[in-house]
Amino acid sequence: MNDDDTDSDVTDRMLLQRMSAGDRVALGILYHSYHGRLCRFLTRLTRRADVIEEVINDCFWIAWQKAGSFHGDSRVSTWLMGIAYRCGLKALRQHGDEPVEDDPRHEERTPAHDLDEDRELRDWLSKGLERLSADQRVVIELVYGVGHTLDDVAVIMQCPVGTVKARLFHARVKLRNVLPGLAGDSARHTESAP
Amino acid sequence: MTFPMDSGKDCVRAWEMMPWVLQDSATREQGAWLEDHLAQCEACRAEFAQQSRLRLALSLPAEVPVDVEAGLGRLLARLDTPEPQEARPRSRAGNWLSRALVAAVLVQALGIGILGVKLWSAGDNPAYRTLSQEPREILPAATPGAIRVVPDACMTLADWNALLHALRLQVVGGPNDVGAYMVAPVSPASTAQHALQQLRTTRGILLAEPVAATP
Repeated sequence: MNDDDTDSDVTDRMLLQRMSAGDRVALGILYHSYHGRLCRFLTRLTRRADVIEEVINDCFWIAWQKAGSFHGDSRVSTWLMGIAYRCGLKALRQHGDEPVEDDPRHEERTPAHDLDEDRELRDWLSKGLERLSADQRVVIELVYGVGHTLDDVAVIMQCPVGTVKARLFHARVKLRNVLPGLAGDSARHTESAP
Repeated sequence: MTFPMDSGKDCVRAWEMMPWVLQDSATREQGAWLEDHLAQCEACRAEFAQQSRLRLALSLPAEVPVDVEAGLGRLLARLDTPEPQEARPRSRAGNWLSRALVAAVLVQALGIGILGVKLWSAGDNPAYRTLSQEPREILPAATPGAIRVVPDACMTLADWNALLHALRLQVVGGPNDVGAYMVAPVSPASTAQHALQQLRTTRGILLAEPVAATP
């Protein structure tokens, strides 16, 4: 955990403390602070905007209810991501699993300021992610996208660190073999290669 | 777990280290070591380039637009709305079950009660008789003017019949183990007392006693 992470966690804890006293302004600050990363995290599970908003609100509703019982065993961000992950899985069971796939409204959804390079990068990424399982996509997002450690991811997904390592390994191998471009054909190998 | 590169331990170490160097959680020494390794290893360099691109792609904002202000507004509105209690449907289902059980118990109790009353009322006067049961003796009180008569064993049937006919009597019971008959006047008009006196004076009648006078 670097200094920035420590500072932001201190701020998050203070916000949680205020929330436990019924401070809705603190809730609004935390909501704004986490909305972007939660949105991106949840798009690895579903493409439906209404479901994403529902999950985010479920997550913060639980955080509002349990703010007083947060003991600080982990960082606030880890705690919140864990709640969001479980709410996301629950939403998937209710609404049906929608893997990452090309959407006919993709062009409409892509922000107008998106540059061609970014659009190309998104397409490149979605080609890889669509080959991964939901759990592998989540691990990739948490490690590369959010920047969590293996221990954090294990807490979020409520599984052993070894399971996280295995998911990360297999996801990386799949991405390496699927994603075109920089790695080059000559560098592609199978999982069974030494 | 095997690694997807045909390299030695250094490549394996580099493979494991890449995500943490990319997210800036590796130590400075680890970062420097990886940098040295990448300078010498083309495969790992290509891998690291792809990993960097992956991180860059994953850091792009979500492409599914979700309005943060609208979402927060709905969340705040939700906080003001009492959550529907999940226990309510359960308790409703519980009530339904309880009521059904109570109704079943009441029906059973009612049935048992009716059966009990029926058995109790039928207990004094059963509507059946087993083959081993003795036929019920005619109650003396039910036959007015009944007389218990023991004729002599030598008395002929003709004499017995003639005597009964003369005294306007009829056999209503017997003979029992000692050969006693129960006789009664044929019609209420006949006098039992007179018949009793006649019987006592008749030869061949060993005993003649009114049933009512029996101790």
